[in-house]
Amino acid sequence: MTYDAQAVRALLDEILAALASAPESDETRALRERLARFTALSGAELTPALALEASAIPLGAMRVFPKEARGQVGAKANAMKQAADAALAQEKEAALALALAEERTGKGFDATLPPPLPSRGSLHPITQVTRELEDLFTSMGWTILDGPEVETEHFNFDALNISPDHPARDTMDTFWVKTAPGAERLVMRTHTSPVQVRAMKRLTPPFRAIVPGKVFRNEALDASHEHTFHQMEGLVVGKDISVGHLIGAMKTLLRGIFGRDIEIRLRPGYFPFVEPGFELDARCPFCKEGCSVCKRSTWIELLPCGMVHPNVLRAGGIDPEQWTGFAFGLGLSRLVMLRFSIDDIRHLLGGDVRFLEQF
Amino acid sequence: MKISYRWLARHVDLTGVDPKALANELTLSTAEVEGVERFLPHLANITIGHVVEREKHPDADKLSRCSVDVGAGEPLQIVCGAPNVRAGLKVAVATVGTELPGDFKIKKSKIRGVESNGMICSERELGLGEEHDGIWELPLELTVGAKLGAALGLEDWVIEIDNKSITHRPDLWGHRGVAAEVAAILRRPLKALELTLPATGAGSSCPVRIESDACSRYMALHIQGARATRSPLWLKSLLLAVGQRPLDLLVDLSNFVMLDLGQPNHLFDARRIGGSGIVVRKARGGETLATLDGVERKLEPSDLLICNGDEPVALAGIMGGEGSKVTGDTSHLVLEVASFHAATVRRTSARLGLRTDASARFEKSLDPALAPKAAAHLVRLLQAEQPEVKITAPATDVGTWKDASKTIRLRGARVRTMLGAPLDDAAITDILVRLGFGVTKDGDALSVQVPSIRATKDIGIEQDLVEEVGRIYRYGNITEVPLQGVLVPPPRDERRRLVRRIEDRLAGSARFHQQLSYSFVPDTTIEKLGQQATPHVEVLNPITEGASRVRRSVAVSLLPLVEPNRRRFDDVRLFEVGKGYVPVEGAEPQELHEVAFVIARTPRKSGASFDDTSLAHAQGVVEDLVRSLGLEACAWSRCETPAAWAHPGRAVALRLGADSSVIGEVAALEPGLARALGLAGELESDVALARLSIDALLAAAPRARRYTPLPQFPATRVDVALALPSEKTAGEVKAALERSGKGLVAALHLFDIYAGERLGAGRKSLAWHVTLQAPDRTLNEADVKKFLERVEREAAQLGGELRRE
Repeated sequence: MTYDAQAVRALLDEILAALASAPESDETRALRERLARFTALSGAELTPALALEASAIPLGAMRVFPKEARGQVGAKANAMKQAADAALAQEKEAALALALAEERTGKGFDATLPPPLPSRGSLHPITQVTRELEDLFTSMGWTILDGPEVETEHFNFDALNISPDHPARDTMDTFWVKTAPGAERLVMRTHTSPVQVRAMKRLTPPFRAIVPGKVFRNEALDASHEHTFHQMEGLVVGKDISVGHLIGAMKTLLRGIFGRDIEIRLRPGYFPFVEPGFELDARCPFCKEGCSVCKRSTWIELLPCGMVHPNVLRAGGIDPEQWTGFAFGLGLSRLVMLRFSIDDIRHLLGGDVRFLEQF
Repeated sequence: MKISYRWLARHVDLTGVDPKALANELTLSTAEVEGVERFLPHLANITIGHVVEREKHPDADKLSRCSVDVGAGEPLQIVCGAPNVRAGLKVAVATVGTELPGDFKIKKSKIRGVESNGMICSERELGLGEEHDGIWELPLELTVGAKLGAALGLEDWVIEIDNKSITHRPDLWGHRGVAAEVAAILRRPLKALELTLPATGAGSSCPVRIESDACSRYMALHIQGARATRSPLWLKSLLLAVGQRPLDLLVDLSNFVMLDLGQPNHLFDARRIGGSGIVVRKARGGETLATLDGVERKLEPSDLLICNGDEPVALAGIMGGEGSKVTGDTSHLVLEVASFHAATVRRTSARLGLRTDASARFEKSLDPALAPKAAAHLVRLLQAEQPEVKITAPATDVGTWKDASKTIRLRGARVRTMLGAPLDDAAITDILVRLGFGVTKDGDALSVQVPSIRATKDIGIEQDLVEEVGRIYRYGNITEVPLQGVLVPPPRDERRRLVRRIEDRLAGSARFHQQLSYSFVPDTTIEKLGQQATPHVEVLNPITEGASRVRRSVAVSLLPLVEPNRRRFDDVRLFEVGKGYVPVEGAEPQELHEVAFVIARTPRKSGASFDDTSLAHAQGVVEDLVRSLGLEACAWSRCETPAAWAHPGRAVALRLGADSSVIGEVAALEPGLARALGLAGELESDVALARLSIDALLAAAPRARRYTPLPQFPATRVDVALALPSEKTAGEVKAALERSGKGLVAALHLFDIYAGERLGAGRKSLAWHVTLQAPDRTLNEADVKKFLERVEREAAQLGGELRRE
């Protein structure tokens, strides 16, 4: 119901009229005077706030009115008050709505103000990629294994079919560890492959395992060479394991890493602990026509792999007539660099927070 | 190793085979090709010209003004400075716009006022040798206007093979071996090559005595009447293509035979060898030999020598001696073709840092049967160039070598299951025969005869033949097969789960960045820690001086990282999970699996809360970590055996529950280390480190996680402050408050430590929020009053009192 100022003014007139029926006295004069402020106003000028004020005057002086008029006066004054109260409440609502609408415009708000950031930590990118691969492989029933970084010559070389005079020892620039004369020689492991034979000795075929870890090569440092880096070995031993299985596993691995099918190719590669041995190239995921990452070849040399050499199976106590297997050695550091477009391998172990906090 | 396409074509027909396509074939079936490049690409743009007229330059005595017909339009006027230029010659012309080696582009120019429209080239200017006596006088039958490269058959491509991919293939260290692969891949025949020695004279052969089993075969041959003339173009250009510098016919042919068949050989000046007979023996300690490169080599008893009588003249299989080398006036030669023990050559070559084309081949285990072939090849090539050359005596051929060829049984089924390829026995046989193996049926298997050239190293077992079949069949033809089997979840990997939870907690709510470090600790760090005498695992051949030690603890790796990072950040928080190694006498080193972290911050201003120190935060991180792992609560005590990096007066040892052994330590940085680590002055830092044993955390039994029912009755909080003698510890007070609560203390929190005048000297006050709670009722005033009375008595026991404000 909307506030009708004329009607309220009419009520006031009626109250005044009732007052006129009372005998003239100081009280009636006083009352008339107090009301005069309001009666002087035209209907339109009588706002709800003034009407409320005006309505309180007769209600507070009811006894001035003739007895028989009091009921009428009271009812009229109350009607005035109610009309005023309702109108005031409505005004208040409207003002509130207006204020909300004003607030909602967001005037003065700067959406581009930089927010204060909570400080945070980070997992090393190598940890992040390792975990992804671990999760991928464990979901397919592979076990994760670990092995010592300071390794015996036996496991690092001999058990892997790399005899003392094997030229392959030259290609793996080895850090040799000082040992007492006569004691077994130790090395900083040059690859994660020694865990192959350790695994064979511990597990009963068939089994599937991966071995992420740190390896060492005595190489001069530059943007793409480190003397310490990370690898992930993979090993499967089972009945009638074939090159086809190896290809299948490698495609699954790449699907896991890049989230889509990646074309691969196997070509001959020589590693004494596999026979046949392969280099696995992946079609460059970053280009179609050749780019700096794939050195314009569209192929990225990703990992050496092959069928486990019977001598290695024997060294692990497994009969190569009964069991065959495949193994691969993924360059984790390299993969991390590919994944995050890191151009300098030295950042990986450099311990610079400006690098670490990006991950 | 560089392979010349044109050289390969001497052994196998390459008609229609694109060099890049050929390189790809080799990559997919044989060895890794690193690149294919055109040999002297500019030769395709050099034009054959005819010098029509030649007259002296009007203003320069040594220059000529020539008119050269290049087969197009008017003859070109070219100024030439060569003394041998004359009318009638056929010459190589670089016309205007042609690029020559060394970024040299021919421009139209004026030489002493005479216009010159090109250049008449010498062999050297074209990159074809060292001759620079004058311009190249080409055969007169060449067609004017034709391009030089094609006309002389010099167009070539160089295929670079990654040496690492052929360490196991001695047969691939010569062009003929690579050609045999190409022949097998392309299904084309390998061209015949005459490799028998021509008839020789009946003179006396060169006496040879082998005194070491490191030489299995030694052939020596007298060659008379050879001259060190310039090599013919075909020879020079092939050698240049594979990166060899041509010298003279004798040296060039010796190299050619090595690069052709893979068999190194050596020519001695007969005047300097053979007089007293050739002796092959090990060196004696203290002996020396001046090698061809002019270096005096100190020899060791493991080195194998070729001697003239007793005098060393060559380092066997590596390099000849300066004293016996062939010189310009040599006409009587002794050709050596031998087989040396691979490891012996390899060891000597590695020790002396002297890697040569010869040693690279010998260390791959060469086939002894190659020796007579190489000798014959060299003699035949030499006689083709110099028909007057004579072999005056039969070749000496001594040694204990054995024919390396062998027979291997190959099961077709084995090939099929290992490769996962549907190859029947006929297909397998076809591939092996193409590769030069002999194949016969042997029951339900195949009997494969391996020729000696493949048998010395690479092919020894059945799996090696599987590889031969697979690589020629092409691995790309094998279809992928999913792994099949009973899928059993792998055993729960508790260690890895634990490490992940630690990493997640520290990198997560504890806000540390994870670092992975080198395992080597620089000596500078060891010295700062005063640990020079502490045994470390050490490498013999560090990457640089002073980086030989392997860390004993992961914590040490974090120390050098503080200063550079503090330069950029006020608050540095790093953690690492990794391994440390402690040497053990007579055994493999002990491996310690650890997590370590460091907090380094700008020091707090005075008035900061008593527990706002890096050490307190570090302890808090450990406490939170241990709780998150569901382990027994931390029990802290003074660390009795602090690490070298730890502040001995501010080091705490961690136990899980009061009865366990110490599993880690947390400490402020040893105060003496701050300056050494660069943390003084403006980089002054409040540093704390922690080290926890993951092995011990793994061994600690986690408590079963169980829900605690929510309290049904409200708790009452009481704040108490106890004034005490300074030496009393928070631990003692905490225990006293717990005793006072008689089981009602639900939580205790130390919120203030105060020491000041109001308390008097030697005293301090510890203020605590105490939460009292009973499981079965609401506590009232009387309960609190009784608690405070007991606290008062406990305080008195500690020599202090309950403070009343």
